[in-house]
Amino acid sequence: MKIDKEQIQDMYLRMRKIREFESKAQSLFAEGKIPGFVHLYLGEEAAAAGVCACLDDEDFITSTHRGHGHIIAKGGDLKYMMAELYGRETGYCKGKGGSMHIADRERGILGANGIVGAGHNIAVGAGLTCSYLNNGKVVVCFFGDASTNQGTFHESLNLASIWKLPVVFVCENNYYGISMSQGRHMSIKDIADRASAYGIPGIAVDGNDVLAVYEAASEAVARARKGHGPTLIECKTYRQRGHFEGDPGTYKPAKEQEEWLKKDPLPRLVNIMKETGFTDDEIAAIDNSVAAELAAAITFAEESPSPKVESTVEDVYSDIVEEVRVR
Amino acid sequence: MSVMTYGEAIREGMSIRMREDNNVVLFGEDVGAFGGCFGVTAGMFDEFGEDRVRDTPISEGVIIGAAVGSSATGLRPIAELMFCDFLTVGMDQLVNQAAKMRYMFGGKISLPMVVRLPLGAGVSAAAQHSQSLEAWVTHVPGLKVVYPSTPQDALGLMLSSIDDNNPVMYLEHKAMYAAKGEVASLDPIPLGKGDIKRAGTDVTVIATGKMVSEALAAAETLAKEGVELEVLDPRTLNPLDVGLIAQSIEKTSRVVVITEECKRGGFAGEISAIIAEELFDLLDGPPIRIGALNSPVPFAPVLEQYYLPNKDDVIAAVKKLA
Amino acid sequence: MASLGIIANPASGKDIRRLVSFATVIDNNEKVNIVKRVVLAAQAFGVDTVYFMPDTFQFGRVVEESLAREGVLTAEIRILDLLMEGNADDSTHAAECMEGLGVDCIVVLGGDGTSRAVAKGVGQTPIVPVSTGTNNVFPQMIEGTVVGMAAAAVAALPDPYKACVREKRIEVWVNGNMVDLALVDAVLTDDCFVGTKAIWDVDRIRTVVVTRCHPATIGFSAIAGSCQIIRDCDEGGFVLDVSPEGRRTKAAIAAGVVQDVGIANERVLKDGEWVRVTVDCAMMLALDGEREVKVVSGDDLQLRICRSGPWRVKPEEAIALHVFQK
Repeated sequence: MKIDKEQIQDMYLRMRKIREFESKAQSLFAEGKIPGFVHLYLGEEAAAAGVCACLDDEDFITSTHRGHGHIIAKGGDLKYMMAELYGRETGYCKGKGGSMHIADRERGILGANGIVGAGHNIAVGAGLTCSYLNNGKVVVCFFGDASTNQGTFHESLNLASIWKLPVVFVCENNYYGISMSQGRHMSIKDIADRASAYGIPGIAVDGNDVLAVYEAASEAVARARKGHGPTLIECKTYRQRGHFEGDPGTYKPAKEQEEWLKKDPLPRLVNIMKETGFTDDEIAAIDNSVAAELAAAITFAEESPSPKVESTVEDVYSDIVEEVRVR
Repeated sequence: MSVMTYGEAIREGMSIRMREDNNVVLFGEDVGAFGGCFGVTAGMFDEFGEDRVRDTPISEGVIIGAAVGSSATGLRPIAELMFCDFLTVGMDQLVNQAAKMRYMFGGKISLPMVVRLPLGAGVSAAAQHSQSLEAWVTHVPGLKVVYPSTPQDALGLMLSSIDDNNPVMYLEHKAMYAAKGEVASLDPIPLGKGDIKRAGTDVTVIATGKMVSEALAAAETLAKEGVELEVLDPRTLNPLDVGLIAQSIEKTSRVVVITEECKRGGFAGEISAIIAEELFDLLDGPPIRIGALNSPVPFAPVLEQYYLPNKDDVIAAVKKLA
Repeated sequence: MASLGIIANPASGKDIRRLVSFATVIDNNEKVNIVKRVVLAAQAFGVDTVYFMPDTFQFGRVVEESLAREGVLTAEIRILDLLMEGNADDSTHAAECMEGLGVDCIVVLGGDGTSRAVAKGVGQTPIVPVSTGTNNVFPQMIEGTVVGMAAAAVAALPDPYKACVREKRIEVWVNGNMVDLALVDAVLTDDCFVGTKAIWDVDRIRTVVVTRCHPATIGFSAIAGSCQIIRDCDEGGFVLDVSPEGRRTKAAIAAGVVQDVGIANERVLKDGEWVRVTVDCAMMLALDGEREVKVVSGDDLQLRICRSGPWRVKPEEAIALHVFQK
């Protein structure tokens, strides 16, 4: 498969943005500036970047509680994301969603999701729209290893298969469902094996190699666009942090963590870039642009006002504003 | 003007919009060539084709989920659950997804979807196929809930439900599908507008679904004794037409609320609480709730009839108030 | 004392060829069943110790627990104490280690790539390569019970090499150093990245070198097989360039994918004869179907075929010798 320099640069940009955003979110959470829960995508950047590099703005994705990476890779705006993490009026969700519920309909992002396994069903619905309208759009459903134990996984792959929907199911196998290692939460090793139960192709790729992910996703997306139905891609990757910030991840063996850090997707891509002829200056220029964009996003978030309390009852419905509290 | 059954009116409401708008699609278990378990969608497969009237596997979660995803991306789906009771299987998609997506996403995604929920007892379908679960769906912010009691209302409310840009739970009583009635208008009935099914001066009876006919039967009996009941069908449970309820109670000063739900924790309790809280000064006595017994729906006809509220309960409640 | 090593690659059978062609899917639980049959047959024919490569799926543990629970395990199961990296090097290291322990035979479950990794680690220990996928030329599709019997037979034979063939291999030399090897084919492609490893796009292929070829095989050796038949026991190999202007021929380049391919400069290679390839841009050399070795413009890339590959057991001959020559 031909992958040119611009495409590699594009994937690196997406990965670097995710890495920096998440690293910053980690420290801002530690400083107490971000309320609630934060589930970081650190270490899994290649999966989102490699897959989303195959998509157009009008294609759809569904995401998970660990959704920042998918949203950034699909073109989400860092400043509205950061403002939402801060709970500000200018955030993607006007401060009503937070980290786990960011969506951007304009960019086809049908939302991060706080319920494990819920995105599968929604992706199938979006796939129905694309298939019914025959508009050549596809849907990528991102989810983790543990969510494939939910009934929604079964229901969705089955329906997508019988209706030949243009949905690419991308499992980010990071080997843990919260504290439970994969070997404890399922009796199989390759989640890709589950595809055969639905009569669809299932493949496993090195999820920390963005080019491998890109190749696999390109083929699966092309297949979906042609109306050939869904594909299951398992990206083998690793969550470098705990389940959420504040989880020390003591259940992860130190040696395992160490081995996976050696396979960190970013340095691996940087090596490939250098082999491909990128200069240090070119790479630094991308890094600097990301740093500037992130700094601007944080300023935007910090200078944005908190939402007005009256807005609590807005946006429940398109046409009804519920009563405000009478005290 | 024509006479239709309740089931035909639901079908006609869906069909009218499907003829006008290609983005309206219908899916559910056996709704296609089979015509639906209760025959409600009979003929729609032939008229609209397999692309628009789709059989799904027995997968309630993804039936509701597919409605969420497809409505978020441009379609106006109607999802049928074969029985309202099966909502338990798809509850996450309804409660955590459909009801919350617009809000969580800051109002930037609309979900114009209808979920049809055949509910109610009276056909010996026993505990897992007969429940009235109005309270569950009305409790969740983000859902609208309608419950027609006549063919005319079934048709008009279906049109408005499809037109609405929010998830609408369309409750339909399975024991009423064959009930006939005049359908004089093919216009939508706006959500949130109740209807006076019988005008009266003495006691307001607020009734929903199949209980409307029980209330009307009670009114016939009591009329012979000189007591005139006003029977009010809110038709939409959320948003509720509190204005119409207030107007009626202003006239009668007494109110009975009858629904088919188990009495404890039912939506009738919410209606009664609103009346007690907001219309207390108009009342001559406490609002009285009538519901089914607080047991699962039993199977044997004799038990089921004993379980269900009926016109005699209404008569007794009215007499108690007098 | 007869011992057996088992190297089962948990990663085989689910690469991108399931998407771009119609390659066979074999899940790990099916591989477990195959391995159980290997162990049962081998112990019945006298093997008393079975060594396993440790792997992420823990084939050895799973097989041991299951057979012990059923009360049918008589051989001793030992899992090698090796640090696993989760890549093909694991198979190479395990093969080295098993040879060091003096096992009589190594059963290899996987595709061409797995056999290649094992071939890098063994010298004189006979191997039984068993196919658990498609696109395979080197390992055979063969019932696990027969594999177990054959492995046990080899262990019992006074001269095991009587039932074996010494395989050829392709040596890959870059700038004067041997950097890698292949058992069946080495394919130069103008892909610049490892990516998903597999190759399926014939338009990107420049040169094909094979140790064996037949039109009835699957993969890039099939292209050469449309010119000439060369068997594992024959001398030398074959080389050709893929070129859109070349002579057209049909070949099954992947399972379910029969394509028109243009070929040029095709010729037979003698044992030890060097093939020098001009490298004018960054390219990847795919070995036994997997993109492995990157070469860049100016590199001196040379390939040659030698009969210094592993000893491969011929299962039917091994069992026949064992049964009838006792």
